[in-house]
Amino acid sequence: MATTPPNIDPRAAVLFQTDKRLRRRRIVNRLMEALGTLASLLAVSVLVIVVASVVKNGWSAFSVDFFTTSPSSSGFGTAEGGILPSIVGSFVLVLIATLVALPIGVMVAIFVSELAPRKLADTIRLALDVINGLPTIVTGIFIFSVLVLAQGQSAIAGGLALAIIGLPLVARSAQEVLRLVPSSYREAGLALGAPRWRTILGVILPTSLGGILTGTTLAIARVAGETAPLLFTCSLAITTSVTWDPREPVQSMPLTIFTSAEQPDPSFHAQAWATGAVLLGFVLIVSLISKFFLARSRRKLAR
Amino acid sequence: MRVTLQEDLDTLQASLLEEGELVLRALRGALNALREADAELADEVIAFDDEVDQRYLEVEQAIEALLARQTPVAVDLRLVLAMLHINLHLERMADYCVTIAKLTKLVAGLEPDSRMIQAFEEMGSRAEEMIKVALEAFVDRDVDEASSLVDLDELIDRANRRVVRQVLELDPELSEWGVRMLLVSRCLERIGDHAVDIGEQVAYLVTAEFREFTDASHPVQGP
Amino acid sequence: MTQEDPVTQTDTMVNVAPIEIAQRRERPQSTAARETVFDIQNLSVSYGKAPAIKDVSFEIYHNRVTAIIGPSGCGKSTFIRTLNRMNDLVPSAKVEGEVLYHGVDLYAPKVDPVQVRRRIGMVFQKPNPFPKSIYDNVAWGLRVLGMKDNMDDRVQHALEQAALWDDVRHRLKKSALGLSGGQQQRLCIARALAVEPEVLLMDEPASALDPIATSRIEDLMHELKNEYTIVVVTHNMQQAARVADMTAFFGLEVLADKSRTGILVEYAETDKIFTQPADKRTEDYVTGRFG
Repeated sequence: MATTPPNIDPRAAVLFQTDKRLRRRRIVNRLMEALGTLASLLAVSVLVIVVASVVKNGWSAFSVDFFTTSPSSSGFGTAEGGILPSIVGSFVLVLIATLVALPIGVMVAIFVSELAPRKLADTIRLALDVINGLPTIVTGIFIFSVLVLAQGQSAIAGGLALAIIGLPLVARSAQEVLRLVPSSYREAGLALGAPRWRTILGVILPTSLGGILTGTTLAIARVAGETAPLLFTCSLAITTSVTWDPREPVQSMPLTIFTSAEQPDPSFHAQAWATGAVLLGFVLIVSLISKFFLARSRRKLAR
Repeated sequence: MRVTLQEDLDTLQASLLEEGELVLRALRGALNALREADAELADEVIAFDDEVDQRYLEVEQAIEALLARQTPVAVDLRLVLAMLHINLHLERMADYCVTIAKLTKLVAGLEPDSRMIQAFEEMGSRAEEMIKVALEAFVDRDVDEASSLVDLDELIDRANRRVVRQVLELDPELSEWGVRMLLVSRCLERIGDHAVDIGEQVAYLVTAEFREFTDASHPVQGP
Repeated sequence: MTQEDPVTQTDTMVNVAPIEIAQRRERPQSTAARETVFDIQNLSVSYGKAPAIKDVSFEIYHNRVTAIIGPSGCGKSTFIRTLNRMNDLVPSAKVEGEVLYHGVDLYAPKVDPVQVRRRIGMVFQKPNPFPKSIYDNVAWGLRVLGMKDNMDDRVQHALEQAALWDDVRHRLKKSALGLSGGQQQRLCIARALAVEPEVLLMDEPASALDPIATSRIEDLMHELKNEYTIVVVTHNMQQAARVADMTAFFGLEVLADKSRTGILVEYAETDKIFTQPADKRTEDYVTGRFG
């Protein structure tokens, strides 16, 4: 027999019109929504403020020359010319870092997620996390002692330091994506009589390409702005001309900001802000590109 | 789709029709033996029944396997059940042919009445026709054709009743022969009934209703 | 059919289609000329300490569909994966006994599992086509195994065998993931057949599909057995009744330490298993009175 108390109107119970507990619940819900919105606005506004102040303060230094010419003096007096050597130098450093970190990071990821036994994989993952947390200046000093003391500073040394910083990022992203590949693909490949490496190369890797590229672009965005590792490995560069030779130290944008900010003349300060703006712009573009790759790879796997 | 089920159903139907073929041969043989008073032919008819029984058994086992493995439903199920019954009716008809042959052997040496022999030939032909019509109705899934069996059966029933009167009018020397022939007549009448039963199965298969064409407990008074 | 006949002297015609009878006579009877492909002897598989199947012995024949049925946990999947060494992927798997494939023990030390899987293909429960085009799905195996001649013909033949060619002939370059579930599974079958195995193992191939797609797969199995050896695991015993020539019923046995392991209870023609099984456990299972 039913045991509903006789004096509750079922319609009223459903329509929730008289429940005091519900009213309280609604208020709490609205409060949480408001707090969440506030926190998000706060976070976004920090970014907006940073971008705004960088652009505002560096505005005076922007010009076509800024992007296309080299500084004409060695840093005394007022700033003349642009930061072309820094742009080129950053490009070279990031390129070297990517060429080293990408293949190694991908291979480590493949090894850890496909081939290594559990304990070894866990150990390697731990090591990668530690590398990720290394203070970048320590990385710089390490490369300094290993490479620079013997051979002098160079873009290669700087690039290697940056590669060490970027490696865990690439490896971690690649791992995540490899894990997303359904194990049924591996089984299907093996069941056809394909050796393990063919299955990895032919099916697993192409499927995870999007995610790997995402990780790479994230790493690029990160290392492009690193200053500390370059201090001891790639800071004594000729500032007045563009250098492409990786065996020589090259200028880089983060270091340019550092040195320009130390100059007494305000025109240098403006240049520092402007260089910061360029870096920010670069990070923004790279982040957008990485989002594009990620969305594409998600679409491929999620059907 | 359900290729195996369809194959099995087709094979089963073909087996059943083959069995019908055998029954017709048995009936023709029994009728010839009766007409010619041929005891040897009668023996062959009796031995031939083994083939019919074997076919009957094969069809039974095939139906059992089909029900177990294919779990037919709807029209497929009705088809299988109809074939189960038709199988039974065919086997009973063959048994009646054996009875006719045995009676033929029993009256070997007795003097026949040629007029009645002629009547049996006609009754027998009618029964043959009914078997063929029943099987064709089954193959064609034709309810009207199945219903026509009722009228044909009426003719056999009338002939059967005439035989009774004729036997009673026979000369006393022929009375032993006459009594045996009563049974022959009844066998032929029963063969006709089984043919009608096959027709009823065809109607059931098509309409999903089981209905007797004529109900023996509610007889329609004939002329 | 008309004939002279000792019993009757007249011709008798009945409306029988002679073709159907001829077909019936030509269908291979189950017991005719059986060629053994797998001879499994005292096979036991355990994952670490847990025993999955124990002491399984029977033979699997060519040009037959052999179904493995039984309650869940009885080791059906474990068993079928033993036939193409897919259990190697599980590090803790231990295999005892012999699996003789044409007389050669698949677990002998010198046997290369990659070669084994070329001859013994597998289709899985959930369709798993690669995220490539339909053409590339079928062609990938061919490329890897070096069967690159007449690639287009090989791909077409495989798709025809899987009854998928007509559906996809005009969109071979489209992604395989755009096909329906049933089509994807047939694509996986085509992919497996392309590399010309002798045996096709199917681990519950239709359990993720709707009834029409399932029926198609069952008709396909009926077709394919003319050329291949088919072994299918299914938890749907009606499916086994419909498609299989031979059926193996795996049951559960409780061991001394309360753990459960799978054993082979009965192996016979499917007709027999479903009309008069020899073992009561089999009968309890197929009548649904199990457990």
